[in-house]
This record gives sequence, structure tokens and C-alpha cells, in this order.
Amino acid sequence: MDVLLNLTINGLATGCLIFLLAAGLSLIFGLMDVLNFAHGAIFAWGAYAGGWFYMETGSFVLGIAGAVVVGVLLGLALERWIIKPVYGNHVSQILITLGVLLVLNECIKVLFGPNQISVEPPALLRDSWMVGGVILIKYRLFVIAAGVLVFMGLHYVLKHTRLGLIVRAGVMNREMVEALGINIKRVFLFVFLLGSGMAALGGMLFAPYSGVIHAEIGMDYGILAFIVVVIGGMGSLGGSALAAVLVGLLGAFMAYYVPSAALAVNMLLMLVILMFRPTGLAGGKGA
Amino acid sequence: MNRGKTSTRVLFGLAALLALLPLGIESKSMLILLTQIFLYAVFAMSYDILLGYTGIISFGHAMFFGIGAYTTGIWMSKWEASLLSLWLALVTSVILTGLVSYVIGALSLRLKSHYYAMLTLAFAGLFFVLAEKWRSLTKGNDGFTFPIPDVLRDRTALYWLALVFLLVSFWLLRRFTESPVGKVLQAIRENEQRTESLGYDVLRYKIIASIVAGVMAGMSGVMYALTLRFVNTAVFSTNVTLDALLMTIIGGVGTLYGGFIGAALILLAHTLLTDLAGVHWIFERWMIFFGGVYILAVMFFPQGIMGTIRQWRQKKKQATKLAGQPE
Repeated sequence: MDVLLNLTINGLATGCLIFLLAAGLSLIFGLMDVLNFAHGAIFAWGAYAGGWFYMETGSFVLGIAGAVVVGVLLGLALERWIIKPVYGNHVSQILITLGVLLVLNECIKVLFGPNQISVEPPALLRDSWMVGGVILIKYRLFVIAAGVLVFMGLHYVLKHTRLGLIVRAGVMNREMVEALGINIKRVFLFVFLLGSGMAALGGMLFAPYSGVIHAEIGMDYGILAFIVVVIGGMGSLGGSALAAVLVGLLGAFMAYYVPSAALAVNMLLMLVILMFRPTGLAGGKGA
Repeated sequence: MNRGKTSTRVLFGLAALLALLPLGIESKSMLILLTQIFLYAVFAMSYDILLGYTGIISFGHAMFFGIGAYTTGIWMSKWEASLLSLWLALVTSVILTGLVSYVIGALSLRLKSHYYAMLTLAFAGLFFVLAEKWRSLTKGNDGFTFPIPDVLRDRTALYWLALVFLLVSFWLLRRFTESPVGKVLQAIRENEQRTESLGYDVLRYKIIASIVAGVMAGMSGVMYALTLRFVNTAVFSTNVTLDALLMTIIGGVGTLYGGFIGAALILLAHTLLTDLAGVHWIFERWMIFFGGVYILAVMFFPQGIMGTIRQWRQKKKQATKLAGQPE
């Protein structure tokens, strides 16, 4: 029983991290039809920059703030210089953001060294509670709480503010929103920065969660985020959340019960879902 | 017509020069490097069939390369290191890559470009995991060395074999791209809807393109295994696909020669810059330079080196034509 519970908490925490990464990606694609393969690199940059701020200042909160700032700045540069020239061209978008991913990953190795770096949770979150024979690791609960908070905040912004209304309308029918005289480019920039900030936050929270970080997490988790977005349905926040939790739980349980298949489980999940539902679990647009 | 003749002459000259090169080169590592350029050129050209001629982005090209490399390794180590097993490896990898590319193409080519890219990534990931886990056959991540036929143990012989392989592949691929099927592929790249409305079965043509690309990539994998005499799961990694992508883009999409130029540039620069790592550590991170060049190429020279040259030549030709016309 405690094994099941532990695995569930594990899976939920991983799911929350993946959600932070995937939600921005999904919104960016849904709203502006842009495929951003460099999203994972921002995740990695969040982990490294946040970890650096955290270790230099000793304050976890400052680390988080630093990670988000770096993520937003990277997002700004990315949108302005890289994405803007290739609007509307999927092939170029895939190719160019892939190049950015490579370069940003290498830059991490230049700045922070090619070896992996270990990051510890802050003192407050380091231990675990024992509740009736079940070990609850504080940091995992914290990650789950952070993920749920971000989801709720995002949900509120999307469903209950004017800006959210415009974003949702933009996902559904961009031309119509533009025809109403709304500058969708500015809305998009906002969503892009929001997505980048969330990716960096996810990276920062990931660092103490896994204990060690290396430059390849940008590639690995970028791919994972794409799988999640594809499974959930591009442009759907709820779909991304559902798919992230699904992937997180499935990963945790498979790693425990069928470790040899754990590596392939996400790929297989995506294959099966795309074969039968080419637009993802909650997707209506696309294919 | 005239241009076709001169470029054929240039090609023959280049081929003859490359064939004579080993007589003047003493350094073994240089020969190996050139051999690798030849086989990666074929790999990049096969990718160009997808990206440059048909307009499909695949993230799983490494799986065909890997299948070729592993069938070679397995035949040579489990059976005997003779020319017969090389032949069998070639046949097996053609059958396997053909089959795999057909199945994957039929399953996923009807999806949109980004979904297809993700699916090929997933399939290649499955092959990677399979190679890691099927240890009795692949020895997992450690890989294994294997003997190769005695004739090919001589580096010069292998060099010539790779050169012949490159020339034959280039000739075959050029015939393919200039055939009616190749023309339809280019029409799909330019405007898929219109090609479909003209009555062509677009999916079928895309599957043909992916089979041709897959089989050629598999054969370059066979050559790769012969050159290295070693194979491990790295042949299935995403980096191998990225190599093909970088070579094709930098060399020039939709040109075939581009693959050769891209492969030569990247492998030469890689060797040179890694040698320079002793001078300054930044050269160790040579991917930054290439990533930068690659991004600029996608942005400003979407045709790559060969494509830009070709475009420039066509413009010049048009200009002379216009100037020659009486007012």
C-alpha cells in the first residue's frame, strides 16, 4: 500500500514538473501555431541559472526568481530574433528552434562546465514526514503544490480575465480575433514569455528534485514535453495537465514494476494515442 | 544541355581526383576521415530526399543508419567475416530498412509535418531502447567489435570501396530525383494540395520517398560499420539524425551535392576544431559554431551552400539572356 502511495506521489510530482514545461509549449503552439523545440533548452537554463542564483545567494526564493527572469529574457530574445522571421513556416520553425536548442545546450556547457552539477533542496524542504508508515518527502509535496498552484493560476487567467479570453479565442480562431482589432502579436509575446518563464521555473524546481542536473536535460525533457503536448492535444491546457500527470504516473509505476520497458513507455503511449486520436486526448484542432 | 555536360565533366574529374588521392596520402587518419566523409555524404543525401526533395522532416533517420550498422556487425561477428556475409548484410539491411520505412511511412505519413516528426522521433527512440535492452544480440551500450573481410582491412581498399559506394549512390539518387517519381516528389514539396488535386496519390509518393531514403541510409550504416569495425547503441541516437540534418541544411537542401559538401565541411571542421581544443578549450564546444552557422543558414540561406550557388548561377544566366535579347 505504501509502495503504491509513494509511487503515486512520485508520479504526481514528476507530472507537475512536466506540466510546467508542457503548458507553455502547448499554449504557444495553440495560439500562434509555432513549434518551439528550444523550449527544453529554457527548462535546462532555468535549472542551471536558478541553481546558480540559489547557491550564490543561499536563498531558494531568489533562485526561483532568478530562474524565471532568465527564462523570460531568453524567451524575449527567442521570440524577437528567432521565431519572428519564421512565422507560418512549420518546417523552418522546426529546423531553426532545433538549432537554438543545440546552441543553448552547448552554451550551458561553456558557462557551467560539461559535468553534471548537484543541487540540494533548501533546508526547510529537505526532510520527510512519516504518516502512518508512509514516508512523505517534503520536496515532492512542495513540487506537487507548486504545480497545482500554477495550474490554478493559469486556469484563472485563461478563464476569468479579458486577456485569457483573448488567448482562448486566439487559439480557436486567430483571424477572427485579429479582425476584431486586437494586436494578437502582443498577446502572443505575452504567452511566449509566460511559457518560457514557466519552463524555467520547472527547470529550477527540477534541479533539487532529481538532485543532479546536466546539459542534456534540455533535450530529454524537451522531447518529453512535446510528447505530453501531442498526447494532450496541442493548445489545450487541461489536456496538457492530464497528459503530464498520466506520463508522470505511468513513468513512476513502470520504473518500479517493469523497469526494462520504462524507457519506451512514453514513446509507446504517444504512438498508440496518435494512431487512434491524431489530435490528442483533448485536441480538436490540427491533423 | 551544355551545363549538364560540363557538370558531368567536373564530376568525373572530381571522382578521378578522389580516386587517385590515396596514392598521395600517407596519413591513415586522413584516409579514414575521407572514408567517413563519403559515407556520411550518402547518409546526408538520403536525408535530402526527404527534406530537400519532398519537404518531409524526419527525426528518426538514425534508425535506418543503425539498422545497417547492426546487421553488418551481427553478420560479421555471428557468422564469418567474409565478403559473402558483407553481401548478406547488405541484402538484410535493404530488406529491413525497406520494411521498416514502409510500415512507419504507411502508419504516419498521413499526419501533419510536426506530428510526423514527433512520431519518427518516437520510433527511433524505440529502436534505441530495443538495442539497449536486447543485450544478447547487441551487447547494449558497450557495443562490440567485429572482424571484417581481409580485403577490406587495408584502409586504401576501404577508401576506394567508400568512394565507389558514394558515386554509385549519387548516380542512383540522381536518377531517382530526375525520374517522373522524383518530379512528383518535388511537386509535393512545392504544393501538396495542388499535387493531390492533379490526381496523384500523395501518400504513396511520400512512402516511396521514405523507403528510398531509408534504404540508402541503411547502406551508409553498413559502410559506417565497416569503417569503424565497431558498433554500439550510439548509432541509434538522436545526434546521428541531427548530423544528417545539419549536413543537409548547411550543404544545401534539394541538391544532393549539398550532402557531400555538408558532410565534408562538418567532419573536417569537427576534426580541425577538436585538434584546436589544445589551444583553447572553447574549440571543444564546436557545436556552438555549427549551431550558429546552421541557424543563420536556415534564416538567410535556406538553400544552403549548393542551393545558393545554384540560385546565383541561374540569376546570372537569366541576366545574360535578358541582356542578349534585342530591345
